[in-house]
Amino acid sequence: MNDPMTLEAPRDVRMGVWQPPRQQRAFRGLLTAFSYPGRVVRLADDGESATLLLLATLTDGASRLADPEPRLSEDDVRRLGVRSSAVESADFVLCTGAHPPEVTPRLGSLENPEQGATLIIQVPALEEGIELHLTGPGIQAEQTLRVAGVDPAWWRLRDEWNVHFPLGVDLILASEQAVAVLPRTTRLTVEGVH
Amino acid sequence: MNVSYELPLDDAAYSFGFLDEYAKREVRRTILKAICIPGYQTPYASREMPMGRGFGTGGLQVTLSLIGEGDTLKVIDQGADDSVNAVNLRHFVELTCPGVDTTERTTEASLIQSRHRIPEVALSESQVMILQVPYPDPLVVVEPSEARRKVMHGEADYSRLLTKLYEDIVQFDEITISHRYPTRINGHYVIDPSPIPRYDVPRLDNSPALILLGAGREKKIYAVPPYTRAEPLAFDDVPFRVEDFRDAQGTRRPCARCGATDSFLDELIDDDGNKQWQCSDSDYCHSRLAEHDTIPGEAMS
Repeated sequence: MNDPMTLEAPRDVRMGVWQPPRQQRAFRGLLTAFSYPGRVVRLADDGESATLLLLATLTDGASRLADPEPRLSEDDVRRLGVRSSAVESADFVLCTGAHPPEVTPRLGSLENPEQGATLIIQVPALEEGIELHLTGPGIQAEQTLRVAGVDPAWWRLRDEWNVHFPLGVDLILASEQAVAVLPRTTRLTVEGVH
Repeated sequence: MNVSYELPLDDAAYSFGFLDEYAKREVRRTILKAICIPGYQTPYASREMPMGRGFGTGGLQVTLSLIGEGDTLKVIDQGADDSVNAVNLRHFVELTCPGVDTTERTTEASLIQSRHRIPEVALSESQVMILQVPYPDPLVVVEPSEARRKVMHGEADYSRLLTKLYEDIVQFDEITISHRYPTRINGHYVIDPSPIPRYDVPRLDNSPALILLGAGREKKIYAVPPYTRAEPLAFDDVPFRVEDFRDAQGTRRPCARCGATDSFLDELIDDDGNKQWQCSDSDYCHSRLAEHDTIPGEAMS
């Protein structure tokens, strides 16, 4: 029976990501991660997914999401209400650290560089794995970020896409619960690679 | 239909922070892109607010998209917490954001929305500064077409702006910009830092706190990320300088209330036509008075 008086309120912690107060808190986490590139910010609480939480916080019917693998469930895409699109025309691209996308994402234009895409790269773990040395806006001297399970081809492509500032892409590295951000302005050297 | 249904009156009012969630999400997306492209005027769909454009609607939309339970907000107008614009904006946030604290103390605030000043006390990483911007584009004085200005910004072509500054020096021996001094962010985009005095411009440079600038009428948001270079435009042989508070004898004027010689001063003219100087940052002035336990007016001696 679908009697509203007997239906229990959803207690499932996963429902939290759809609630405005939860998204406000998540946004402040993202704001810190974007302001201070390379800092690992724990975004999700237990039982939540950082990727889904940040997509719920930032996307809606006014944004286009490419999920080429696909890595999101159909239900979650429907709840997000986001427009699905191809990688080359998406505002947000959901990727895996294991391999970069085969096509170039949007880089924006000289007049409208904000149209460069935001890539969400799912990685097995942050704070372990190879060491990245970062400098640039938001970083006082140098920031070290450790990230596991990212194909070195990613860093080559990122350099290529971001060579003509202000055009470029901004990366959100997302583990199960935490994120670290690499805006297009961050200069990156990989440990042992010159 | 369920007969026992009652309209949840509490929920039927405005949502937390007045803006609907779609508006907040758009402002949030815009803020993040603005941080990624330091100094770039990122366009967004500025919402109609229940106050006139030009009264801080741009800053307010940024504040409302950031604020949440546990935040402490400080609102200042020309350095003061108690002037009309600041009081109204603070009251609006108190009405629409239950669970949010407001304060007049700079050190207690997690969010600081400001019109025309940056507080005297240095900001920390745990704070976000939000500036209200009336005119976001510094190139508007040399190029009327926005389409062309956007190309000039993208190419970091500020030769015409520098020519204007040069012409000032030729004509007046001085760059005649007192506030809204064009400032280059991270070596590329030049911003209008909102009508802060020159005195505050060096505070943008390598600030530990994120600085967001919101222009509601012009529908732009831009950012000076933390630890980012912010250099006022100047020439090698004519360096940038800030307001001079020295008197004819060359001594730095103190604040008439608290005696501070290290703050930005407002010039006031009293009933007898005498000039007086007083801290523009009211919280800084009050804290100094409280520290020294002096009664206002007696500090002058």
